[in-house]
Amino acid sequence: MTNSSQTSPVLIAANALTKSYPRGREEVRALDGVSFNIQRGEFVAITGPSGAGKSTLLNILGCVDNPSSGTLELCGRMVHQLADRERTELRRTAIGFVFQHFGLLPTLTVAENVALPGLIAHRRGNQNVGALLKKVGLDHRHDHRPSQLSGGEMQRVAIARSLANQPLLLLADEPTGNLDTKTGAAIISLFHELNQEGLTVIVVTHNAELARAAHRQIALADGRCA
Amino acid sequence: MTWLQLSSKEWRRRPLRTGLTGAGVALATAALFSLLSFQKGYQEGMRGELDRLGAHVLVVPKGCPYDAASMALHGASWPCFLKAAYLDEVRSVPGVATAAPVFMAAYYQTNGEQVVYVGVQSNILALKTAWRIQGQFPGPDGGILSGSEAARVHGWRVGDRVALPGVAQHGATVTGILDPTSGADDTFVYMHLEAAQRLFGHSNELTHILVRLSQPENMDGVVTQLRGCDAGLSMNIVPLAHVFHTIQSLVFSTRLFLGCLAAMALLVSAAGVSNSLLMAVAERTREIGILRAIGASQADIFRLVCLETLQVCAVGAGGGIVMAFFTSRIVETWVRTQLPFAPTEPLIRWEWWVAGACLAGALIVGLLAAILPAARAARIAPAEAMRTVGGRA
Repeated sequence: MTNSSQTSPVLIAANALTKSYPRGREEVRALDGVSFNIQRGEFVAITGPSGAGKSTLLNILGCVDNPSSGTLELCGRMVHQLADRERTELRRTAIGFVFQHFGLLPTLTVAENVALPGLIAHRRGNQNVGALLKKVGLDHRHDHRPSQLSGGEMQRVAIARSLANQPLLLLADEPTGNLDTKTGAAIISLFHELNQEGLTVIVVTHNAELARAAHRQIALADGRCA
Repeated sequence: MTWLQLSSKEWRRRPLRTGLTGAGVALATAALFSLLSFQKGYQEGMRGELDRLGAHVLVVPKGCPYDAASMALHGASWPCFLKAAYLDEVRSVPGVATAAPVFMAAYYQTNGEQVVYVGVQSNILALKTAWRIQGQFPGPDGGILSGSEAARVHGWRVGDRVALPGVAQHGATVTGILDPTSGADDTFVYMHLEAAQRLFGHSNELTHILVRLSQPENMDGVVTQLRGCDAGLSMNIVPLAHVFHTIQSLVFSTRLFLGCLAAMALLVSAAGVSNSLLMAVAERTREIGILRAIGASQADIFRLVCLETLQVCAVGAGGGIVMAFFTSRIVETWVRTQLPFAPTEPLIRWEWWVAGACLAGALIVGLLAAILPAARAARIAPAEAMRTVGGRA
């Protein structure tokens, strides 16, 4: 599943991460000195109440946002020191994203959505699209549009898309937040299966069942590790 | 899937907005294309008419030289005449190689069609070097030389004895038929000068004299001498090149104005493209954020927006060129009514390179219009975009 030649067992090393936002004249601290390590192949759940800083942390781990201070090492690279181009490259090659609202492009078919990371990575052909759709049990939905799918199916497509570039790390933001219990359980099972295959999985969740399925939980409260 | 396919799916998402944006580009391109094609057609048409006339100077009765040139070229009944005696004075001016006297009269038939009779001497052949005659040039005793189109319309053949249309009780033998000239000569009915003067009751009178110079570069000197001869005060000496130059200047002044309007239309359409893209980018903020999150670079997003623009502009400009092609007859008919002088040849002349230049122009303008929205889309920060509520994803 992974394409890295890295041998270090530590995939992520976060040290004293803070993130502040200006709100009028005030400064809001979404993260306040968060530190942790995540090993390769771990399944970690980031939990906490709304406003605890879970999604902010996930965005920083996914290189879509920068910490205000602190250091973040991901796949052996000091992310907080990277330029936008290098962080984009890291997102493209090492990270898969799954969003609560699926984030599928409505104009594309299921197969085209899954092929999108390959296009972005300038990879010719869609050789692994069929295999990925089969993996998430949607090979029969190849030419359907997202609007023709159920919530669970859309999330499966999003997971297939996140795996398209064979990432080291899968980040999921409330992946079961928009799904019913039964569909949510199927998605949890899929994450578990991917983790069993060696993929490092980090999910932000309110879902107790999903949190329990993880090896470890990082609980946040008011921007700090509880 | 390719970037081109991805971008094409995007603009198809909003067909009405895309259609309106493309229609703006199409109209502007059609205007530009028609204008450039008209310029080329008009220039070549004028040059062709001048060549076919074979004369450098037109000697006409006093009056407006532009009307006279138009009547001599396209055929008409003349309101006033020259004395035939002036011909000798014109011929005596040094530098005049050939002075061909002409008597022209036009009649309308009952069906409204005009028949133009032109009386000439055989020295007209020195001017009309491109003429090819099936049969013979008519003599002073009678006979007609028909233009190809006139012969076709009336069903005339060489040797036929025919009634002269519009001239009651008069007949003549068709001694010759001209091969097609692609000009007004095709519709004229030529006869010998004396026969025409007799037929129309204007003995010793001419409508105009076509003058060919031995050295056209000495035009000014010859014209001065013609104006200075005894008959100079009774004649209007019209250097055709000057007339055409003046007419072209008038037409091109108008064209410049129209060109400014076409350029303005192109700028307005570019503003429309830019505005439409800005709206699309704003609506897709979250979607762009997701593309960035899954690894798209700023350059990828910039390229995506530019490709969308190029497609809309290419389709719009292509449609505009096709539209201009199919509406050219209507446009040409209208333009002819507005011009002081219009050649008989098509005014709008199609050239592939003009179409290509218009297409390229529309694409360049479209690309310039896309820079701002594309740059704005590329600068969207993925984390902020994913927090956006309004953007669709």
